[in-house]
Amino acid sequence: MSTDDEPAADISGPTVPRMILGNQLHRFREAAGISPDRAGYEIRASRSKISRMENGRVGFKERDVADLLDLYGVTDDETRAVLMTLARQANAPGWWSKYGGDIMSDWFEEYLGLEAAASIIRAFELQFVHGLFQTEAYARAVTLLGNTAAPVEEVDRRVSLRLKRQDLLAGPRSPQVWAVLDEGALRRPVGGRQVMRGQLNRLIEVVDQRQVTIQVVPFDRGGHAAAGGSFTVLRFEDDDVPDVVYIEQLTSALYLDKREDVDHYLEVMNHLSTEALTPAQTKQFLAAIVKET
Amino acid sequence: MTSKGILVTEEHASGQDAPEKDTTGTGIDTTVPHSARIWNYWLGGKDNYAVDREAGDQYRAIFPGITVVARSSRGFLTRAVRYLAGEAGVRQFLDIGTGLPTADNTHQVAQRVAPESKIVYVDNDPLVLAYARALLAGQPEGPIEYLDADIRNPEAILDAAAGLLDFKQPIALMLMGIMGHFPDEEAYPIVHRLQAGLPSGSYFALYDGADTNEAFAVAQQGYNDSGAVPYYLRSPARFEPFFEGLEMVEPGLVPVPLWRPDPDAEQVEVYSYCGVARKP
Repeated sequence: MSTDDEPAADISGPTVPRMILGNQLHRFREAAGISPDRAGYEIRASRSKISRMENGRVGFKERDVADLLDLYGVTDDETRAVLMTLARQANAPGWWSKYGGDIMSDWFEEYLGLEAAASIIRAFELQFVHGLFQTEAYARAVTLLGNTAAPVEEVDRRVSLRLKRQDLLAGPRSPQVWAVLDEGALRRPVGGRQVMRGQLNRLIEVVDQRQVTIQVVPFDRGGHAAAGGSFTVLRFEDDDVPDVVYIEQLTSALYLDKREDVDHYLEVMNHLSTEALTPAQTKQFLAAIVKET
Repeated sequence: MTSKGILVTEEHASGQDAPEKDTTGTGIDTTVPHSARIWNYWLGGKDNYAVDREAGDQYRAIFPGITVVARSSRGFLTRAVRYLAGEAGVRQFLDIGTGLPTADNTHQVAQRVAPESKIVYVDNDPLVLAYARALLAGQPEGPIEYLDADIRNPEAILDAAAGLLDFKQPIALMLMGIMGHFPDEEAYPIVHRLQAGLPSGSYFALYDGADTNEAFAVAQQGYNDSGAVPYYLRSPARFEPFFEGLEMVEPGLVPVPLWRPDPDAEQVEVYSYCGVARKP
């Protein structure tokens, strides 16, 4: 839980500095010809910790960074100063931290960080309209589905967290969001018909944003590839940072970044994207559904 | 190579009746290497599968220069488009055989020079089209269009493009690394028919692999034997008929690194040939 006097990171959160710092550490380690095991030993950690650090997936102890730089023979004061600043930024709490740990699990916090650092977000949604496109009324209805007994104040906070995420799309370094929605996500009248109509109209608006692509898989496109359910693939600008597959479950989430796992989901996502209606057809399809809702 | 026609689109330009909806698959074959995905791999992209990486590594083991060829060929595309949008003043681009999006795509280069540049991307590969529609967004003032069409039917491409581009103004026709998929007797007529449909003052830019390196040829043969859509290397002399009746832009038909290199360009040896020409 953060307090008010902690420096709040901007909308992108701490994950970007983590990835930059991790990438630098990776380069310095390779240049020094030091194995992940040896580097891990130096900071009393495992090789997988080193890999998570280098992929920008965890925060950094400043002491660890300093020790690693010593080990890698990085002695230039200026370089070290830049990296230590990054290490501090990498530990700053994200904007979401002020929403409170009671409504947000660690795994969702990690997702928000990755989402804000991504350059391309590809999502398949089977049940609901994607969080980045939800109207307030729709977000409230979805929140109530999962938190029937929650006090009004808590529901408000959850809804406002959902909506705050959408600032990402308005920001200067907005990721490209490429979402494939199952027709079911559009037909299920979450919050009632009026709420759903508002949500569908919002989708029709967002498809015109340059950084957004929406494709619908209609019911008559049979047996599509994602029988398993909804998932998201996050792509990062840096060529060395692997894609991350995010799968939300009831009480936890799964993060996959091993190439074999990512391959499989990327393949499914590509199948879905070619099977779905084109963005232009989707726009017409949405307009038709609004009339029927 | 025909797409399996998963989509009955308003953009479909095959010139045939709309294909039956395909409910058995999506036209993506993940069991054989795929030309656009393997190029993505050589260029350092992440949109490739194990089958592409294996084939790409095998290729590279025989011909380590392929990575340089891939990068150098993209470099030619960048310089050619920069020349076309800049010095030549072209504002319309017809780019056939788009490939998967990479760092400097045609519209990005053209619209950096002239934001109003209009680009029509043409491909018949469902994966390439899906990526192009989603990720190739242009400047608001210079729209981008995507055509699902097969180059073996040039008239259908020209017809569909006529609704998107102004055929009274010059158009740059770009065939970047695609004609190697066709033997000469098929390739020349396709290119000539496309060129015939363009107005005077239009431009034509092409690169393809040449057969001037033994290892390149051996690696390519191995790739072609893998079941992938084959690609044939040509002798430099066999590039000339593509430019018949056109005025070659300096320096003419050359290996890709030698076409108007950037001043700080690294000296590399690349066995792909390219040229840019103007239609009188």
